[in-house]
Amino acid sequence: MAAEEIPLVFEFAPAIAVLPALSLVVALFFGEYFPKKGAEAGILATAGSLVLSLIMLATVAGGQTVNHELYTLVLGVSEETFGLHLGILIDPLSALMLTIVSLISFLVHVFSMGYMNDEGETGLPRYYGELGLFTASMLAFVMADNILMAFMFFELVGLASYLLIGFWFRDAGPPSAAKKAFLVTRFGDYFFLVGVVGIFATFFPATSTPGMFAGEHAFPVVAEHALAGEATVNTFGFEPQTWFTILGLLVLGGVIGKSAQFPLHSWLPDAMEGPTPVSALIHAATMVAAGVYLVARMYGFYALSPTALGVIALTGGFTALFAATMGVVKQEIKQVLAYSTISQYGYIMLGLGGGGYVAAVFHLTTHAVFKALLFLGAGSVIIAMHHNENMWDMGGLKEKMPVTYYSFLSGSLALAGIIPFAGFWSKDEVLFETLVHGLGTPTASSTLLLIGYAFGLVAVFFTGFYTFRMVFLTFHGEPRTDTAEDPHGVRWNVKAPLAVLGVLAATVGFINMTPVAELTGAHIEFLHQWLDMAPEEYLTNVHHYTEVLETASHYEAAHISPLAPGAVSLALALGGAGLAYQLYGTAAHPEPHTEKLGSIRTLLMHNYYLDEFQVWLATGVTYRVARAANTFDQGVVDGVVNGVSSVSLFSGSRVRRIQSGVVSNYASLITLSLVLLIAFFGIMGGWF
Amino acid sequence: MATTLPTWTALGPALLLGITALVLLIVDSIDPDTSNSTLLAGLSTVGSLAAFLFAGWLLVSGTGQPQTGGAITLFDDQLVVDGMSLFFALIVTSVATLVTVASHDYIADQPYQAEYYSLVMMAATGMTLMGSANSLATGFVSLELASLPSYALVTFLKKNRGSVEAGLKYFLIGALSSAVLAYGISLVYAASGHLQFDAVASAVANTEFVGVLGIGVLFVLGGFAFKTASVPFHFWAPEAYEGAPAPISAFLSSASKAAGFVLAFRVFTTAFPELAGLAGGPVTVDWVLAVEVLAVLTMFVGNFAAATQEKVKRMLAYSSVGHAGYVLIGLAALGGAPDKGFVLGASMMHLFIYGFMNTGAFLFIGLTEYWDIGRTFQDFNGLAKQAPLASVAMTVFLFSLAGLPIGGGFFSKFYLLAATAQSGTWILGAALIINSALSLFYYTRVVKAMWIEEPVNDFEIDSYPAGIYTAVIVAAVITFLLLPAFGLLSPSAVTGAAALF
Amino acid sequence: MSNPWIAIGALAVVAVLIPAGMIAVSSLLRPTVPEQGKRAVYESGEVPTGNTRIRFNIQYYMVALLFVVFDIETVLIFPWTVIYRDAVANAGLAKALGPMLVFIGVLVVGLGWAWRNGAVKWVRSPRAERQRVEQ
Repeated sequence: MAAEEIPLVFEFAPAIAVLPALSLVVALFFGEYFPKKGAEAGILATAGSLVLSLIMLATVAGGQTVNHELYTLVLGVSEETFGLHLGILIDPLSALMLTIVSLISFLVHVFSMGYMNDEGETGLPRYYGELGLFTASMLAFVMADNILMAFMFFELVGLASYLLIGFWFRDAGPPSAAKKAFLVTRFGDYFFLVGVVGIFATFFPATSTPGMFAGEHAFPVVAEHALAGEATVNTFGFEPQTWFTILGLLVLGGVIGKSAQFPLHSWLPDAMEGPTPVSALIHAATMVAAGVYLVARMYGFYALSPTALGVIALTGGFTALFAATMGVVKQEIKQVLAYSTISQYGYIMLGLGGGGYVAAVFHLTTHAVFKALLFLGAGSVIIAMHHNENMWDMGGLKEKMPVTYYSFLSGSLALAGIIPFAGFWSKDEVLFETLVHGLGTPTASSTLLLIGYAFGLVAVFFTGFYTFRMVFLTFHGEPRTDTAEDPHGVRWNVKAPLAVLGVLAATVGFINMTPVAELTGAHIEFLHQWLDMAPEEYLTNVHHYTEVLETASHYEAAHISPLAPGAVSLALALGGAGLAYQLYGTAAHPEPHTEKLGSIRTLLMHNYYLDEFQVWLATGVTYRVARAANTFDQGVVDGVVNGVSSVSLFSGSRVRRIQSGVVSNYASLITLSLVLLIAFFGIMGGWF
Repeated sequence: MATTLPTWTALGPALLLGITALVLLIVDSIDPDTSNSTLLAGLSTVGSLAAFLFAGWLLVSGTGQPQTGGAITLFDDQLVVDGMSLFFALIVTSVATLVTVASHDYIADQPYQAEYYSLVMMAATGMTLMGSANSLATGFVSLELASLPSYALVTFLKKNRGSVEAGLKYFLIGALSSAVLAYGISLVYAASGHLQFDAVASAVANTEFVGVLGIGVLFVLGGFAFKTASVPFHFWAPEAYEGAPAPISAFLSSASKAAGFVLAFRVFTTAFPELAGLAGGPVTVDWVLAVEVLAVLTMFVGNFAAATQEKVKRMLAYSSVGHAGYVLIGLAALGGAPDKGFVLGASMMHLFIYGFMNTGAFLFIGLTEYWDIGRTFQDFNGLAKQAPLASVAMTVFLFSLAGLPIGGGFFSKFYLLAATAQSGTWILGAALIINSALSLFYYTRVVKAMWIEEPVNDFEIDSYPAGIYTAVIVAAVITFLLLPAFGLLSPSAVTGAAALF
Repeated sequence: MSNPWIAIGALAVVAVLIPAGMIAVSSLLRPTVPEQGKRAVYESGEVPTGNTRIRFNIQYYMVALLFVVFDIETVLIFPWTVIYRDAVANAGLAKALGPMLVFIGVLVVGLGWAWRNGAVKWVRSPRAERQRVEQ
């Protein structure tokens, strides 16, 4: 690997993450002196990152990539230890993600001027500073070339989201939501950390750089060799594949927490307490995306373990359906979107678990676009509604705010998966890949995949329903309140991002139209080709993953046409949307039909009582354990610690006593100890 | 170029210091009744700074080091100039510079200032020569040259009972230790028939007088233990450091200690390596084990006693004893270490950084004495509000002393730990870790008092003495800079040390 | 056998036993007649006056210190003069004379300083003044 001869343009790669970090400093310390309170710094920085990311994208498209060490944290002192370092890995996947993140972040910054500045919020320098930190950590996470660095920035992303969710820390809700987000994701991160340590312990000394993602010495590759019997790694007595499954699932803990998958999803709806642009950023491109990106990043590792893949697929499929059902009954626009995010990330996980690496990345991309759009659109509505988020108080906004309406509609069509909007292509591909692998794979994991597929398919219907319920309740019919009658206007800085994203939401799906490609035979699966462009020596390209899936996990694709499954899912989506139209779209004053669901609605409104369950877990179980631990800590650990310190102090005061202040005592003590020393060594050395 | 200068110029640092001392005496002879403190302090600062720069230049230009043909020996092998002696000349002169700068304000109202500076310079001369001593005779003489002015300096505050009492105790214990050392030297001479280190080494290689030699070696060790304030010869240290004027405490606890160590390093690694089997032969006098015992004892006694002090200066005095224990690791871990230069180099680096951080901490005490705000921990309460800059500096010193990565002390302790790991002397490593943790406790007490506690007494600081401030800030900046610059200096320490083996 | 330390140790024991035995025996045999004169300090027949703790004039120390300076100077100069001619012949004038001049120069500086600071000035003793006045 010619790590030294990197193209000049990659010398600037670190700047992508450094620029937003600088904006943190500038906004935090000098924000007060800017007319927009620091937004300028953030916008400039993210625009710079976007430009650089696009340059990276172009360079990668030109066939150049980079995987190199930047800064050594701990040098491997000798053969027996390994070094830890920071480095960058820019291949098609990370270049794509960098572009998405910097684009969304740039737009969110612009939008924030409308949402925060124009609304006269205070503490804006802090807001923009935290936004910069958030963006910087996410970008650095995306660029990370090893799992330790990824973990570090993963945590920073969590920290930044904690700060931003709790931005309005003087109210009651936001701090508690921030704490919940922090604690729940941290719970997952414990497993991740154990996994990281496990990976380092496993793959050292088989490779000197056990944390790397890509290259001949990267851990997924070494694991592959180990499975093939070509390398020996530390598996602590397990079969290699079993042990890799354990490691993969440990890391997956962090993913489930961050990407809000069942059962660690409960923080995400609460995180709506943060400012809406922050929600857009969290849901579309940063926090939540970090989880699934990690799986995609180390896909070569997961591909080795059919069990881990099955768990991912099942978790994803179940979460997709589970969250979609809860989205059906929510009354607040952002809540609906929150559950839709959980559900959509479920799809991405399903795609990853189902062997559809390209499909998952595709859905990640399209989702980033349309979810950012929907959140910003919701933000625009919220501005218009004077920060009332209840959809039952809206209605008829279509005429009042056309730009918002049409872009929001574009996003909704994408979310529901209606052809030809972005979400259709990607969601369809996710489902299709899962189906073909479920049908084709001869081993037991095919059942898991098929169950996941079934969940996902049913969720399509619910998705269509809640999406259009949201659209109809918000924009159609007659205004139901005075505020909706006379909404607050929004300015260009809200409309421009919406317009950009609206167009993208309609078109971004064209980058990988698998069914069309299948039908026409044209090579238009651009994303697939793009991701397959990763250099051979990185071993992160698509055909390598396919190979690994086949050899290690025995995934095989059944040969069926993509048209029929696509038609089924489209029909389900249209069915859901149609039902929503029937119930909410026709009448000027729609009835709250979901109330007819009765106890089911109550169940759904309470999120299947999961929050209550978790609270019970926390108070009923954890608290008691904690109390027992506290007793132990107070009694035994503190006892030991206090004992040590009092012994220290006591012996210290004894030692002080020796210093009597009488010089003849000193002289005699010196002489005495010299005599003792001589006696000891004399007898030992046999001098006498 | 160095090659064009005559070889005696390699002793330049010591000569410059000695000449400065004489010039100061001449100045005082011309006008004995008045003391122009700025002139005197300025002269001695210029002298020590010149010596510092000269030593630094010699070190950088490679004088006496392998790349220019190895050590330079002078006066029939009685003195030697090599990487290690220049490195320690650097330590001594840097501390002396800081001390003279700070003394300008500290002793501004005292009589006999010329004598003060002159004594400091003479002591520094002796300490620099200790680094160059290549025979037990020159070693002993230069050690006395360093000691005798120190006794006088400790008692410099003649009207202060603490100062006089401390000086007397220091002198008495010093006399005892000098006697022990001289006796040890005579026994070594009796067993080997030589005083020059290399000659001693070859003479004792297969001596039949193991008993005499052994007692001699232990006595010599005892003599050096006095100079370096190692247990059990440390009794003078807390009293002398506490009673002496603060700049002198800084001088003694940093430079004097470093000088004691360099002599010990040279004697034990050049004259007695065979005895402990360092060259692979049989162990006859296991001084490595003896040093190990002393090191562990010193670390524990120093730090445990420091933990229970009420006065900050006395706490620092005991912590200085503890640090002597850390530095002793350089000798104690030589036994099984494959890379002996690294082990000894780690100790040298610790002494170098210690020279700045400890001097700085004592000078800060000098600052508080100048302000007259009291000596106990409580008296320091709320100091950060009145003197934030100095408090920041003190915080840097203390945390660096504790081994936190805010100053070079972090790396030097890390190197010491690596040295113990390398030689497999786990007991030293464990003692180092335990005592560092304990030391954090009592260092933090000062930091807490300065930054967090509310002031107990109302004190108004009305003047900010430029000299002490300069010295404290410079020391703090260097302590901090040694964190990133550690890697620049450590090679010269390690190669300087490796040249001895 | 024949560890020489055993013999030395035996000798030491004997050396302690004999004087201790003599003292013990004499204290058993002698008559006890306490008397003032027996407890007085023996000053070669003179009757002692005052106690031992009297103060000397500081000037004695100064003179003694200066004497040491000159003494050491002499100790070094004397052998140097003995070999001076040979040294000049072998090593040249500069190497033979130079170091000694430096040495003496250093001592001269010290002496000059001591002189200027009044080390050789005969200080007045307040007590002596007082006594003279009283007489």
